Amino acid sequence: MQRKPALAISQVAKSFRDHHALKGVNVQVNEGRIFGLLGPNGAGKTTLIRMLTGITAPDSGSISFFGSPLTREHIAQIGYLPEERGLYKSMRVGEQALYFARLRGMQRQEAESRLRMWFEKLEVEGWWNREVADLSKGMAQKVQFIIAVLHQPRLLILDEPFSGFDPINAQRVRDAVVELKEQQGTTILLSTHDMGSVEELCDEVALLNRGEVLLDGPVESLREQARDGRFTLRFRGTVMEFTVAIGASAELIEVLHPEATVGEHEVMMRLAPDTDIASWLHWISGQVSVLACTPWQPSMRDVFIQTVEQRESKLNAL
Amino acid sequence: MSALRHIIYREWITRVRRKAFILGTLAVPLLFMGSMAIGYWLEQGESENSRVLVVDVAGMVSQWDERVESWVPICPDCFPERESLTYRFATEGLDDETFIASDFDVMVVFDDAVLQHHTAMYYYEHVPGFDLQNHLKTDLSQALERFKVKETQDLDFATYQRLKTQISLVGEDIITRDGHAVGRSLIGFVFSLFLFMQILIYGMHVMRGVIEEKVNRIVEVVISVVKPSVLMTGKVIGIGLVGLTQFVALSLLIWLITLAGSAWLEHAEVLKSSSDALVGLDLQTWIAGQSELNFLLDVNWSVMLASTALFYVVGFALYAASFAAIGAAVEQEADAQYFLIPAMAPLLASYFLAVMAIENPEGTLAVVASFVPFTAPVVMLIRIPLGVAWWEIAISWLGVALTAWLLLKMAGRIYRVGILMHGKRPTWRALFKWFRHAE
Repeated sequence: MQRKPALAISQVAKSFRDHHALKGVNVQVNEGRIFGLLGPNGAGKTTLIRMLTGITAPDSGSISFFGSPLTREHIAQIGYLPEERGLYKSMRVGEQALYFARLRGMQRQEAESRLRMWFEKLEVEGWWNREVADLSKGMAQKVQFIIAVLHQPRLLILDEPFSGFDPINAQRVRDAVVELKEQQGTTILLSTHDMGSVEELCDEVALLNRGEVLLDGPVESLREQARDGRFTLRFRGTVMEFTVAIGASAELIEVLHPEATVGEHEVMMRLAPDTDIASWLHWISGQVSVLACTPWQPSMRDVFIQTVEQRESKLNAL
Repeated sequence: MSALRHIIYREWITRVRRKAFILGTLAVPLLFMGSMAIGYWLEQGESENSRVLVVDVAGMVSQWDERVESWVPICPDCFPERESLTYRFATEGLDDETFIASDFDVMVVFDDAVLQHHTAMYYYEHVPGFDLQNHLKTDLSQALERFKVKETQDLDFATYQRLKTQISLVGEDIITRDGHAVGRSLIGFVFSLFLFMQILIYGMHVMRGVIEEKVNRIVEVVISVVKPSVLMTGKVIGIGLVGLTQFVALSLLIWLITLAGSAWLEHAEVLKSSSDALVGLDLQTWIAGQSELNFLLDVNWSVMLASTALFYVVGFALYAASFAAIGAAVEQEADAQYFLIPAMAPLLASYFLAVMAIENPEGTLAVVASFVPFTAPVVMLIRIPLGVAWWEIAISWLGVALTAWLLLKMAGRIYRVGILMHGKRPTWRALFKWFRHAE
């Protein structure tokens, strides 16, 4: 199904004095999808997010929001959970959440009823009248998450939303994010270094480095593209015998699970160029006892590291 | 507009409900009364010697003594020896120049009118302290009482009570001929001191509030919803309203205390007529009869209160703009000192000008300072109780309002950049760049 773009970022550039934070970035975030914005520290993710939330403006380029140029009027349809989070310490929890809802133009009654629902869902209902100063870090983060989603934004921007949570609460928030996407059709822009979350949640990603988009597209497609002929092979016998057996027909990259079971090994390898894997497998099966052979599927972490390292070595070579 | 309203309300409510605010507001009248008591006590302890010339035109309290060849009191007990007070008597007063040139501090004129109105005029170059005024009242009343008793035959107690006399002294500045100028400028000073304190205290609140939002990064969420200028404006108005709330609460509190105190004093018949101890008085009439206090009735309190509120609004906005910009530029209060000193200098200067203006509220310095926008809010309040034309007040206020608006605009440019900047404290040069490139 062809999805409409919720966000179309076109040739966006931003500089701070001599530092080019973004250099003509193009990104498209489709409606109703979870889009991962990845990149090492200083890649330009926060600068891009700040533009989407209207905090700063691009020097050049354009951003459209559901087909219209992004303006301050659209900000009410965006929810934002920044990476570095804070709350007003002198306010009570419920009062504070209500304040932000009202700031976004929600009616008091509606805001209260939605807040009660979210407080119950994330199990913070007993904290309504407590001082913010009394909240644990995890509790405060849940409140901040609720503040970001309360007004049912069409676009939800989450910057490292799971950091600081224990695994149970992190899962609770993950479930809430998926629910927002599936039940309300919310488009979610997720900026994170947690590649596990990216694989679990994101439909599409863009990888930013030094203000440029290095790659973007659906997660599965990127992982597929990153495959480089590597595969894992499990066999019975010693590594030495196996190495002698393969000779120069393949490259043994890494021994993955030495003697996972007595007498068995698992290795990562890559065939010599122009070698047909089916013929090779047939041949090697005559040399050693092959138990399993699986094509290697790179994780998003691998894709991330591989892409950034390749780019860095190219830049260093210049 | 709705967002601005919510920001204002948040800034206001989170402060006015604090225990510190409530206790502080309640404590001010007590502190005020305490400081009055301390002032009175210090006044009592003043030991400087004062020389008083009693001009006894009708010979009621003094007589010629051939032995010493000078006028001496008829009743020496009425004028006891005191370390801080020396009396001399004469039948003729000194003209102004002679009095100023003489070593007398006070000249009291005792003529026939004192018998009819129980009021004697006294002249001074420097306002005598309350202690001296009290001694004068007591001694002269006693001397006049003796005179009346001596003049009356068949004196019974009721007659004596009727004749019992309390002298009122009506002071007059020998140069300005205004008897209450200093008293009224003191009232003005109380208001300007209050204004100075409110601007300083709540200006610091603005700065701390901005730093708090910047440091805990909540500002990113807020300015993703509203413009930074709206946030800053809401903060300045909200915190400004806290100061205004305190002013209104204090005014009401003092008014209620005065009403209750007045009703009690009247009920308990504590306040007596100076001419007849059997006649109880209400507070206002009693004050009218007290020369040290009756200037309170000369002050137009409605104008004073309204002027204070109006000058507070624009004066606070003017200084709060700088405090907000400073808060946005730094990440901790200690770093703010670097910028605070120049920002607060005009405010401190206005305080010192106000202190100087008490003595001469209509002097050139006070008049000029009451029109300079940075000093006007504090200094103009000293002049107002003495009677300032409405258009002078209006021009001064508009000058402050216009400057406040300009400063808020300028501060807004620094604020919108600074609020997102983290790291080391910026230099003045960097602030200037933020200002220039804020667009």
